[in-house]
Amino acid sequence: MQALFELIRPRVLGLKNRMTRSAGSGRKRILIMGGLGAAFCAGIFLGSCRVLRYIQSVEMIGDLLARQLLSMVLLTFFSLLVVSSIITALSNLYLSKDLELCHAMPVSVETIFISRTVYTLADSSWMVLIFGVPVFLAYGYVYRPDPVFYLSLLHMNLAMAVIACFIGIFVTMVLVHVFPAQRTRDIILLLSILMVVALYLLFRLLRPERLVNPEAFFTVAQYVSALKAPDSPYLPTHWVAETLWGQLMGGDGRGHWFDMVLTWSTAGSAVVINVWFARRLYFQGFSKSQEAKKRRAGGARLLDLVIGCATRPLRKDLAAVIGKDLRVFFRDNTQWSQLLLLGALVVVYLYNFSVLPLDKSPIRLDFLQNQLAFLNMGLAGFVLSAICARFVFTAVSAEGEAYWIIRTAPLTLKRYLWGKYLFFVVPILVLAEFLTIATNRLLEVTPFMMVLSSVTIGLMVFGIVALGIGVGARYPRFNHENISQVATGFGGFLYMVVSSLFIGMVIILEAGPVYILFMAGVRGSVVSPLEWLYIILSFGAALAVNAAAVFWPMRIGLKSLQGYE
Amino acid sequence: MIQLINLTKQYRQITAVDHLHLTVRKGARLAFLGPNGAGKTTTIKMMAGVLRPTAGRIIINGHDLAVSPAAVKQCIGFIPDRPYMYEKLTGLEFLHFVAGLYGLDRTSLLQRRMEELLSLFELEQWKDELIESYSHGMKQRLVMCAALVHQPKVLIVDEPMVGLDPKGARLVKDLFREQASKGTTLFMSTHSLEVAEEVCEEIAIIQAGRIIASGTPEELRKQAGIDGKLEDVFLRLTQEVGIAGPV
Repeated sequence: MQALFELIRPRVLGLKNRMTRSAGSGRKRILIMGGLGAAFCAGIFLGSCRVLRYIQSVEMIGDLLARQLLSMVLLTFFSLLVVSSIITALSNLYLSKDLELCHAMPVSVETIFISRTVYTLADSSWMVLIFGVPVFLAYGYVYRPDPVFYLSLLHMNLAMAVIACFIGIFVTMVLVHVFPAQRTRDIILLLSILMVVALYLLFRLLRPERLVNPEAFFTVAQYVSALKAPDSPYLPTHWVAETLWGQLMGGDGRGHWFDMVLTWSTAGSAVVINVWFARRLYFQGFSKSQEAKKRRAGGARLLDLVIGCATRPLRKDLAAVIGKDLRVFFRDNTQWSQLLLLGALVVVYLYNFSVLPLDKSPIRLDFLQNQLAFLNMGLAGFVLSAICARFVFTAVSAEGEAYWIIRTAPLTLKRYLWGKYLFFVVPILVLAEFLTIATNRLLEVTPFMMVLSSVTIGLMVFGIVALGIGVGARYPRFNHENISQVATGFGGFLYMVVSSLFIGMVIILEAGPVYILFMAGVRGSVVSPLEWLYIILSFGAALAVNAAAVFWPMRIGLKSLQGYE
Repeated sequence: MIQLINLTKQYRQITAVDHLHLTVRKGARLAFLGPNGAGKTTTIKMMAGVLRPTAGRIIINGHDLAVSPAAVKQCIGFIPDRPYMYEKLTGLEFLHFVAGLYGLDRTSLLQRRMEELLSLFELEQWKDELIESYSHGMKQRLVMCAALVHQPKVLIVDEPMVGLDPKGARLVKDLFREQASKGTTLFMSTHSLEVAEEVCEEIAIIQAGRIIASGTPEELRKQAGIDGKLEDVFLRLTQEVGIAGPV
């Protein structure tokens, strides 16, 4: 037991030291992140309260809907926990740099395994906790249950997290055992991404919004059966939902002791089974994961051809950097596989527009279509920012510990940063125009709106990409284990905030002039000279904001990178 | 060829390099010695352009690093103590990447030079393998190939023998001597006094960020008043300063 605590202690001490010993800027960061996190939780709580009150007010089926929503929330969290546990277990149990030291210590394999499962449980469940607690508290606020509900909330969710975590760890152990050692990491990461893509597409294509529209179903029986679809009595989420719902409906939990015992006994069994399997599989798998990595580079000729074409117009130094980036991107399975996520995102994005019930709206169709097209610029901008947070923001940090090569080369950092900018701006521009033009065609907007939104999003791309490179250079992280961790840090968060503000400013500046021009077209009236002045000034200001979003972050990023030590 | 003038580096309250003055003439081989935390790696990183000095100047091949960093970097080859590289490139691709950064044309001459270097460092049969499959010593040898690919006038080396087997170490020592005979200036930091004496004709000892002694091994022996091993000379000199403080 002592050894187990000692193995967990470094993580606790590391966290404590990070909190207490961080310098002024570090503390500020913690405060900002904490404040924003609290605001985010408050937002989820208020939103959930509103949704629950609305659902509660639906006659006859209000409570049924709320019960079903609880099941769906629990099932979603459970699935996320399993997927997240698979990924974090891989890192904590097999890939962490300190594992060599742990395995060389005079402690049993089981102790190391259990200590790492504690890490995995903490790493995989904290995000779900942030999203989940406000939702469950909203249920408590709206239904006013007995205080014992909050106790159940705590221990039942913990039991559910333990079950999900151990399922994830078990899957990881089996995969590491089955697949060839050199490919284990890549295969697991690829499978995880494919699972997320499949879950995402499945969830969206099921069209959950139809559940709040009973007219979409032919019969009441069909509707009720659709409501019950994801709930199976064999799932731990069902037992948790039964317990919590019983207490929300006024019970004190005694009626659901069976579900509670079932949940906890399953959690306990999961722990015992995993430790039993770990005795046989874990060390064998760890040893395999330490073996030599892949030796041969696949598809080198095709890659050479692509790189040759892509870098032909560039000078040798930039061509070298961009060629290297392309090679690393396509050879690293953790990087290119994220294009699958991107593809799923684009498919769902377009699908959402194709199923919009525009004809049922009480607003005039042409007005609604163009209004949606206008707002779509903001939405598309936000989607592009999310993509840039993953690929563009991390572009500088992607050099990793090999950044010294760039620093000692006779390539100026200014050229280096602008080279990265050029590399990303073209594909992002193509994607932006594709999203905008495709959705505009689905919405059947006017030619004026088509031109305006294409030009606006095109110009915004230059700013979104520059913000990504600039903020990424301002907050680089070269000592990461996995590049996707960089995007989820403080800098990535800040980039999303600044980029959203930029998009919001452009949209607000264009909203007034677009409304005037559109309404003049609809009414057949003439735009007055004063209105023209307003239109010119607004569009001019939008252009100025775009220009500032390109040059300002690049300058800040360059200055910061020049002083980086 | 290399001039460090009043070079200073401060990390908050700690002065890692303290008004350091040092000159290395063209074609000379200088070993930069010092105890742990003396400021060797900080000095070398400033010379390579990885760290910015708090004060002072670095002049290499007639160019001031602060004024013309690209011109300085064009003429130096840097070999760091830890060979971090792009693991998803093959050895040959990495050399082409570095050559590109230095603006070298992809000529048959360059190709031949790369082949020669890979052969010299016994990496020829590994050139098309991903770097992630290389051992530490192989990575160290590849970094050396990369540092030499553009035929630098100055070689700045931090702990060159880490991870090398005896054969590799012998190869590197011979190579450094050969490079110096062709006019390349060598600035090498090392913990190994044996390597310092074997490879270099001049030695500078740094402690607490300051040069406490410099000259040929014989001059250092005289300075320490010991006519024995360089190890004893080093210990005496660093101990004296450790007690009395830097001079």
